[in-house]
Amino acid sequence: MMDKLYLVARIADTRVALRSRAINSVVTVGTPVEVPAAPPHVAGLFALRSRVFTLIDPHVVVGLPSVPVAPGQRVVVVDVAEHGYALLADEIEDVCFIDAPETRVTGKLLPGWARVADAMIEHEGHSLLVVDPSHFITLPAQRAA
Amino acid sequence: MGRTDTAMDDLLNDFLAETAEILAEAGGALVAWEADPADRAQLDAIFRLVHTIKGSSGFLALPRVTALAHAAEDALDQVRRGNRPANAALVTGVLGIVDRLSQLCATLGSKGAEPAGDDSDVIGALAAAEDMSEAPAEPAEIQLRRDDDIVTDLQGWRSIRVPLPLLDSVMTGVTDIVLARNEFARMLRESGADPALIAAFDRLSDSIAGMRQSVSQMRMQRIDKLFAPLPRIVRDLAQDLGKKVRFATSGGEVELDREMMENIRDPLIHIVRNAIDHGVEALDGRVAAGKDVTATIAVSARQSGNQIEIEVRDDGRGLSPDALVQKAISARILSAADARALTPREKLELIFRPGFSTAAKITSISGRGVGMDIVKANVEKIGGLVELRNDEGRGLAVVLRVPMTLTIISGLMVRAAGQYFAIPRGAVREILLETSDTVRIERVGGGEIVTVRGEQFPLLRLETILGRTRDHRDDVEDRALVLVRPGQGHSYALSVAAIHDHEELVIKPAAPMIMATGLYAGTTLPDNGRPVLLLDVQGILAAAAIDASEAGRSLDHAVEAEAAAAAARNAAQLLLFRDIGGRTRGIRLSVIERVEEVPALALFESAGQIQAQIGDDIFPVHAAKLPEGHGTLKLLRLNDGQMVLCYPIEEVVDIVRLPDTVQPAAAPGLVAGIALVAGDPVELVDPFWLMEQYARGAVAPAARQPICRIADDHDGWGDNFLAPILQSAGYRVVAETSGETADVMLCLTDEGAARAGDGDVPVIRLRASAAAAGPDDETVYRYDRGALLDALRRRTGGAGA
Repeated sequence: MMDKLYLVARIADTRVALRSRAINSVVTVGTPVEVPAAPPHVAGLFALRSRVFTLIDPHVVVGLPSVPVAPGQRVVVVDVAEHGYALLADEIEDVCFIDAPETRVTGKLLPGWARVADAMIEHEGHSLLVVDPSHFITLPAQRAA
Repeated sequence: MGRTDTAMDDLLNDFLAETAEILAEAGGALVAWEADPADRAQLDAIFRLVHTIKGSSGFLALPRVTALAHAAEDALDQVRRGNRPANAALVTGVLGIVDRLSQLCATLGSKGAEPAGDDSDVIGALAAAEDMSEAPAEPAEIQLRRDDDIVTDLQGWRSIRVPLPLLDSVMTGVTDIVLARNEFARMLRESGADPALIAAFDRLSDSIAGMRQSVSQMRMQRIDKLFAPLPRIVRDLAQDLGKKVRFATSGGEVELDREMMENIRDPLIHIVRNAIDHGVEALDGRVAAGKDVTATIAVSARQSGNQIEIEVRDDGRGLSPDALVQKAISARILSAADARALTPREKLELIFRPGFSTAAKITSISGRGVGMDIVKANVEKIGGLVELRNDEGRGLAVVLRVPMTLTIISGLMVRAAGQYFAIPRGAVREILLETSDTVRIERVGGGEIVTVRGEQFPLLRLETILGRTRDHRDDVEDRALVLVRPGQGHSYALSVAAIHDHEELVIKPAAPMIMATGLYAGTTLPDNGRPVLLLDVQGILAAAAIDASEAGRSLDHAVEAEAAAAAARNAAQLLLFRDIGGRTRGIRLSVIERVEEVPALALFESAGQIQAQIGDDIFPVHAAKLPEGHGTLKLLRLNDGQMVLCYPIEEVVDIVRLPDTVQPAAAPGLVAGIALVAGDPVELVDPFWLMEQYARGAVAPAARQPICRIADDHDGWGDNFLAPILQSAGYRVVAETSGETADVMLCLTDEGAARAGDGDVPVIRLRASAAAAGPDDETVYRYDRGALLDALRRRTGGAGA
């Protein structure tokens, strides 16, 4: 079942699980084109097969300082509202089938994470946050102001 | 979802798409046919269209659609057979059916099923139209050819329907191929590949280019489609308004990107409606203007280069620039002062201002909240232009100029802060190097302005707007100014690090948070594969929060603005007039009480003096002899507060600001001096001298002017330099040789002491050196105006002003 496929990756210094159906692809980027005056989590633009994607730095979204893009870095490509975005990933681990059920988030998360996390899931003895990539696209209101 | 259902859905969708097109076409064809019922081809075409709908609806089991189509087909067939006349009632009846079919199809599209309902009203109306019809038409004129007509139709259109998303994805795929080809070509060049390999690649490259062309073609549609609903709109609106309109289209074979078509549909319809509502006069108005009672509205399309030009021309009343200005002022979208500075073109373009409506009253047609400003904004949004070609009293042509495809615009690539940006070419007025001689950049109060050939523009530096610093690699010599005109009446200069080149760019919208910055209009992917941001030239203006209005900016306008300001301060203004001798002269406006127009007979001669009778008063006139003829005469009425003098003139020319520099006349007289007004020398009338001539003797000289005699004026300095000052201070200056008794004497030389024998007349001596000779030196330095006037006042007992 597609529903049980997850992409396990390290995003914003945290291991998370992303539902595979929310993800378009995983690719590597070269040097992105900067977007002056854009919100801080916009790390730039890059082209992939004649489409222009907006690069998002998840560090900024969860409240960490931004991290420069390294050439060849891998990104998670998602489509939100007909626009293409790419989340910078610190590390892509694997796409795996996780049979365990998603559970309610327990414990108090940092505000930045609380906003993007949907649930938790057990994988190989670790608890992973299940995050919705589309939540990374927008900044929390008070930050965007 | 079952396979059969899907197939059914596809069929239904095809039917709906096809029917929507047919109905639009049928509406237009019906109206055309109504205008010329003898046009057999038109009738056959309509018949075929209705027949097609009937056929496909029967297959899909849509009983209401079938019944309606059948009724229309039946009525039309009767006409074809000559059993029924073609008249307005029939056309209205068929149009009623067409409307009902459109409604049904809309419901079908949203609900997926034919709604229950009764169509006997429209079908009945069509039948009733037959009963009401008058004399039957001549049957002999119509021949029966029905079967072969339908056969030719089937052969004529060999095409298939393709869903738009599929078309778009093919387009994207081809663009990908082009990008990959570019990348590959670069690598081939760099690797120094075998010429045979390169030749093979070039062939591939050519076929890719050809394919890209074909795919673009696939998105093209004939502009006929855009014109199809217009005849119907014109007919209905003309009927509502009681106007007669002949409607014609041409250039329907011109092709346009389908997306583009969507974007100009509403503006075009609005312009056509405007033409009927506002442009075309009412019937009696047309008769009064000597025009054919039937107005003509012509819509034409033509391709010029990469652009399509669509013109809507009417032969109505056109636009009246002055009426537009009045309306704009009363609608408070323009101040009277700004209105004066407008050129005729700018006056016409007032109709594009938000909140402007040209109708004297809001009619049901115009009062829909859509103005020409929206039309203009929509057309400009897709990189187009709206132009007006006005012929006041005889008609107006509105021209829409749009790029052939929406997604490809011509862009100017510029560099700033080490990266490239694109500017829509349509918004660029001019490109100049900052080092150019015609450019002058100044810092004013923290902001920057640039003057280009006398016109000033606010200067924005792209790096500053983007919040970046200049790239250290940029060469100052490369810095360029792009004069940008984002919209009507606004322009500014955008300073960039360098101009790169022009490119045809495929524009895609950027992500919402990037669009939200207001600085970008989209992204594009040039051939090098690195995304480039398209600048939003209007948004930049908003972000910079500057006033980029062109009003009162250029130096010509500045002069006018200055004149207006001067008037407000009550500063000296000059009335220019042509005097009886035909010479242009000027006089200070403030001394003119009014301009009188009197019959020549009002002037008479008395005691060697010309007088004018105005009302119950008699005033002296400055004229040597009575005017000839019996016409009327214009008189400037000068008033010094004590008396009135009339000065006859031919006509008033203008009112201008009194020039700062006046070349004084050599001797006091009617002409005080000469000044340059707009490059032409103008004699300035000295009202002082003028009044003086008539004040003497006429009225008791209550306030007699102290007379000042200038002595020892060997080099004319006294006459040329001193006399005007004295005169303006209220003294009458007499020459040394004059026999008149002076009140005071000005001695221009120090050694004139011996000549102080003029009775008791006080003497003021002027010295040439600035420093006094000693503490008891009573002479006055000749350029010390204050001391001189002081001394004069003391000697004459406080007289003078």
